[in-house]
Amino acid sequence: MSTALQTPRAHELKRLRERLAAYDPVLRQTRRLSLGDGRVDGCFLGGGLPLGCWHELVGAETDLESAAVTAGFAARLCGSLLSGGLSRAGQVVWVLRRTDLYAPGLSELGLPSARLMIVRTRSEAESFAALEDALSARGVSAAVGEVERIGLTEGRRLQLACERRGATGFLLRRRLFGSTPNRAVRVEPAIAASRWRLAPAPSEMAIGEPGLGPPRWAARLERARGGRSGGWIMEASFDGAAPFRVVAELADHRVAAPDASHGEREDTPRALQRIA
Amino acid sequence: MKNARRLTAVNDAAAKAGLHPFQTVADALALEPDLITEDADPDADLAALEALGDWCVRFSPAVAVQAPDGLMLDIEGGEGLWGGEQAMLDDLVTRFRGAGIPACAAIADTVGAAWALARFGKGRRVVPSGAQRAWLEPLPIESLRLSENDAETLVTLGVSSVGGLLKLPRAELARRFGPGVRLRLDQALGDAEEALTYRRAPPPFFERLAFFEPISAPDDLLRVATDITAAMSRRLAGALSGARRFELGFHRVDGRVESVGVGTAIAGRDAKRIAKLFAPKLETVDPGFGVEAVTLAASQVERIADAQGRLADGVHENACSFESGGEDGVEALVDRLANRLGEAEVWRPAARETWIPERAVERAAPLAASDKAWPADRPRPVRLFHRPEPIEAIAETPDNPPVSFRWRGRTHRVRKAEGPERLAQEWWRAQDYGPDKVRDYYRVEDAEGRRFWIFRAGLYASDATPRWWLHGLFA
Repeated sequence: MSTALQTPRAHELKRLRERLAAYDPVLRQTRRLSLGDGRVDGCFLGGGLPLGCWHELVGAETDLESAAVTAGFAARLCGSLLSGGLSRAGQVVWVLRRTDLYAPGLSELGLPSARLMIVRTRSEAESFAALEDALSARGVSAAVGEVERIGLTEGRRLQLACERRGATGFLLRRRLFGSTPNRAVRVEPAIAASRWRLAPAPSEMAIGEPGLGPPRWAARLERARGGRSGGWIMEASFDGAAPFRVVAELADHRVAAPDASHGEREDTPRALQRIA
Repeated sequence: MKNARRLTAVNDAAAKAGLHPFQTVADALALEPDLITEDADPDADLAALEALGDWCVRFSPAVAVQAPDGLMLDIEGGEGLWGGEQAMLDDLVTRFRGAGIPACAAIADTVGAAWALARFGKGRRVVPSGAQRAWLEPLPIESLRLSENDAETLVTLGVSSVGGLLKLPRAELARRFGPGVRLRLDQALGDAEEALTYRRAPPPFFERLAFFEPISAPDDLLRVATDITAAMSRRLAGALSGARRFELGFHRVDGRVESVGVGTAIAGRDAKRIAKLFAPKLETVDPGFGVEAVTLAASQVERIADAQGRLADGVHENACSFESGGEDGVEALVDRLANRLGEAEVWRPAARETWIPERAVERAAPLAASDKAWPADRPRPVRLFHRPEPIEAIAETPDNPPVSFRWRGRTHRVRKAEGPERLAQEWWRAQDYGPDKVRDYYRVEDAEGRRFWIFRAGLYASDATPRWWLHGLFA
């Protein structure tokens, strides 16, 4: 895939990969969403986040229960999906079980409530049924689901639903309220077209300006089908069609620092900034 | 004799013993010492009559309940389904008898004639159209629904039958009795109009299917549901209309009606789509010993554009700009989800004009167009807790944002903060209004970049420690 493929063996491998890609519904997908930076887009075989398939967004440990960071990331992706010419005017269906999603915040991130439809279910099974139904409906550009775990069967069914109309799915892993906090989210075998692990990252304003900057994510692309992984600090961008702006590349892929060691270090607050 | 206890109804055995309604209990007991009496319950009688009226919807959707003992059905145009009026009448009376309800019935052009013949005609009578005059003549004068006084006066005058009354000069009649007698006579003969109060307004979109053999297999129920929806769909198409609510009624052999209903987001008449919505609900229908008729009523009928089929890339008339028509469009999706999960579980968040965060979002219908939006200059979280969660905050001064706070057992050191944004309760909600109901919201970011929406409750007062709450999380 990279330019360093010179040997005949590497060449052969590349040729085989391309042949296989022609059979893979994700890899042969021509509709792509540029994430705003060549370094990120280059991680996907074919360039850019493939549409017409589903992606998995996993929050860092503290975010697993509230799923705010992942919801923001998904809202930004959906927003640029709707505004770009990639998917004709369509709806975003958000399937959830807890109704703490706050639409004004989503519309700030570019997902207008006029295009949003919320579906509340009572069980995981109902969530998957609703997602499958939504993804295969005409006029639905994307569906976002908040689920606890995704099995192989569910993943496969979602993929087939996505292929029917070319809708894109984003699945947020969210631990149910009240379940044991130390039960880690098990990551199942690879079925999603890509899997992101997301943690918040400190925002920055232009020098001298007080307050909070646009939201930032320490986003680690753990897996991309046919592609490679990577890690970046990404900032929400509202300038062009791209949803993000890459601020920095994560040197090691350690996005979420272990929580126990955090917190009580020499974090004396710098001057508090405040708007009068 | 005003305060005497009287019989209101008697059973067959009592009738044989010579008892009759309106007799005083004392007289009845003298005739029949073993008489068992029950207190009359007119409310229960009326309720039972109304239930019977509902059941009669199988014959006609227009049923008027005439207390205390009558039902009036407008069967205009419906008799063909039974193969004639006589067959229909026989069917009705047989069913009543089968259910243990003694009934007399008659079919006539006018309400008055049907009333008279059902009560005084003895037997099942079908009066040929326009022949009510000849049929009414031999009947007693009481059959005209006259007031008690008028009837008694006529009898004392020697006029005991309708025929006798008809011989009297009309002008004389009006002078002696006022308009009452003449009106009743004219109504019975069809010379005067008479309005009935139907138990429910006859739905104009109503379909009915009856079967030779009762059905009960789930497959059959589904098939008849599909058939009747198709019939309704044709009917709606003929009127260039669609409906948003469909009620399917399964009339069982034992007289009970099992009904299921579905609603759609946008008025429609696509038979396949509606039948599909019914399909999962048919499981809940208990066919008992069989279903012998099925009815379908459509309500909330609206005019809709002609072709509701697939519009390739066109713009649907009702919906905004998304492709929505057809079996697999957004409307159909909304209908499926709303019928499966409940209508309250599918919604579109819409802006409401208030500053109170928890009230700023309302649930609108999923496909409703919305023009209002939230103010863009106020940052709002993506997750808002239904109840703000208390946090332990350390602030340098009470009206500054906190330096650090503890939430769910974890300490967060605030690195950046924005605010305050002061939100007070709306003054017209008097019980919520007051200085302690003011909230100062801050947007804070901790060392790891997590963003929180926290507020201090109440104005700063030196004697009380301010209470802090966490209300939402930003992305």
